[in-house]
Amino acid sequence: MQTASTVDASAQAAAAQAAAASAGMAAAQAASAAAGRRRARLLALRRILLPVVAAALFLLVWEAGTRWAQVPEVLLPPPSAVLDRLVSAFPLLMKHAWPTIWQSLAGFAIATVLGITLATLLSASTIIRETLYPNVVFFQLIPKIALAPLFVVWFGLGPEARLSFSVFVSFFPVVIATLAGLDNVERDLLRLCRALTASSWQTFVSVRLPHAVPYIFSGMKIASTFAIIGVIVGEFITSKMGLGYLILFASAQAETALILAAISVLCVFGLAFYGVVALCERWTIERFGDRPR
Amino acid sequence: MQIHADPAADPAAEWRHPQPVAPDRDAAYLSLRHARKVYQTRTGDVEAVGLANLDIAAGEFVSILGPSGCGKSTLLSMVGGLESVTEGEIWLEGARVTGPRRDFGYIFQDPTLLPWKSVLDNVLFPIRTQKRPVADYEAEAHRLLEMVGLGEFKAKRPRELSGGMRQRVALCRGLINDPRLMLMDEPFSALDAISRDDMNLALVRLWDSYHKTALFVTHSIREAVFLADRVLVMTARPSRIVADLRLPFARPRDVTVQDTPEFNRICAWLRDQIQAGYGRPEQTRGG
Ligand SMILES: Nc1ncnc2c1ncn2[C@@H]1O[C@H](COP(=O)(O)OP(=O)(O)OP(=O)(O)O)[C@@H](O)[C@H]1O
Ligand SMILES: [Mg+2]
Repeated sequence: MQTASTVDASAQAAAAQAAAASAGMAAAQAASAAAGRRRARLLALRRILLPVVAAALFLLVWEAGTRWAQVPEVLLPPPSAVLDRLVSAFPLLMKHAWPTIWQSLAGFAIATVLGITLATLLSASTIIRETLYPNVVFFQLIPKIALAPLFVVWFGLGPEARLSFSVFVSFFPVVIATLAGLDNVERDLLRLCRALTASSWQTFVSVRLPHAVPYIFSGMKIASTFAIIGVIVGEFITSKMGLGYLILFASAQAETALILAAISVLCVFGLAFYGVVALCERWTIERFGDRPR
Repeated sequence: MQIHADPAADPAAEWRHPQPVAPDRDAAYLSLRHARKVYQTRTGDVEAVGLANLDIAAGEFVSILGPSGCGKSTLLSMVGGLESVTEGEIWLEGARVTGPRRDFGYIFQDPTLLPWKSVLDNVLFPIRTQKRPVADYEAEAHRLLEMVGLGEFKAKRPRELSGGMRQRVALCRGLINDPRLMLMDEPFSALDAISRDDMNLALVRLWDSYHKTALFVTHSIREAVFLADRVLVMTARPSRIVADLRLPFARPRDVTVQDTPEFNRICAWLRDQIQAGYGRPEQTRGG
């Protein structure tokens, strides 16, 4: 009897203790959850703040350094001078930015469509693949910038030369990445398709293509920067318009501040372009991709 | 098998399948005729299935037991038309199997779900692929998912599920198109003991009502005996079928058959057979 009652009493004590502990635990949990959220916010803030601070510091050192050492403006103007030039020459910069922007965007779009199409053909047919893929790899390896003058020979002095060269440069990363995505599907998934008597078109649409989506986007992100490079190089070679032309023109005039202003515009455009592609990627992968909603 | 040197003393005589091969093989539902599979690999030939010669009647639930790597999955793939037969033939309903068919239901050893589709869409994947009217099968998909306890996970992606839950989704997917022949390759091996019992019961209940033919590979002897009408035992490679039992348990099958002495005797006998198939001496059996 006695043992039973001690057991009983100790059980009660344990229960009370557990209740107290669970109440305390709930409070502690809530507190730690709030702390966790705060920490996450701080971390997010830090990820944005740190690079911005670093860049600001860099500009500050640049500004102070050029002033203190009295570097001639032709050699390296301070950021404030670049900003002045950017403001004063803004209409000129925009006039020249427009052709560069539309040609890069168009070059990128055409390269993406062509790249995905070619990759589809390569993955669909062994014959096409055996014929073309080694050549694609070969072209991928040669320094494509060296071919830019040829495009002027072929397409003349108009925007066609720059557009086609931009397509040419940005097309390869899309092909290679898309093909990797279409090919690297787990064999078990292909087996499943076969077991369900899916046609190869169905397998392509319902398995290969969705699997390739993240790969395609990583190719597109590279292509977005390559497309701009293609246009700028084209403008360096021959053009009467565009930021590449403006940079060349300004360097002939020894207008270093204008060069840097044009480059700043280019940077903002490139960043925005890349950002839009990255946002599309996130949206697409969240909708159709592998990541949990 | 040296332990059964005297056929009269064969304790399994009463359970042995009287007719592994039907008298009229062309009339059999599924007929494996001296089927053999050799994989050609870089390091040489691998004889995955040495010899399979048997007939299976329509509506039979056949469990296949055997050591790992003995060719059970290969056998299933050949029946399902996913692997070619190196020698011999496989016939189904009077026609040679040359490739997969729409009315097969597969459950692979791995769940192989589409990671970018929801659980429900994964279950409906065969329907969409085979261009059947999705509306006709949606209710069935929901019912199957409820049955395996995934009612609340229909909108989730496979990545958000545990391994055992994924395997249950694959089970639903295998059943959704109301297949005539089910090919199941260790469908429950990733489940915990309790869910495994639940799934076994669900499968047995399913077979109470509709009689489909099934080949069911498993490593669990009790599972094999509980589910099946017939149990095959394969040896290690080059594999042959060394035992073919017709189980004396009626359908609808009750959970309590597992407690009968006969059930346990059959399981013990099968364990000996499998051990012999490993090529190990009998004494290694512990306990
Ligand atoms: N595609 C393949 N190419 C070459 N060899 C293979 C292939 N698939 C299986 N094998 C070999 O065939 C043998 C049988 O494999 P299988 O997958 O059929 O075994 P299993 O009985 O299903 O084994 P487990 O119980 O481990 O799943 C193994 O030795 C394996 O190495
Ligand atoms: Mg296997």
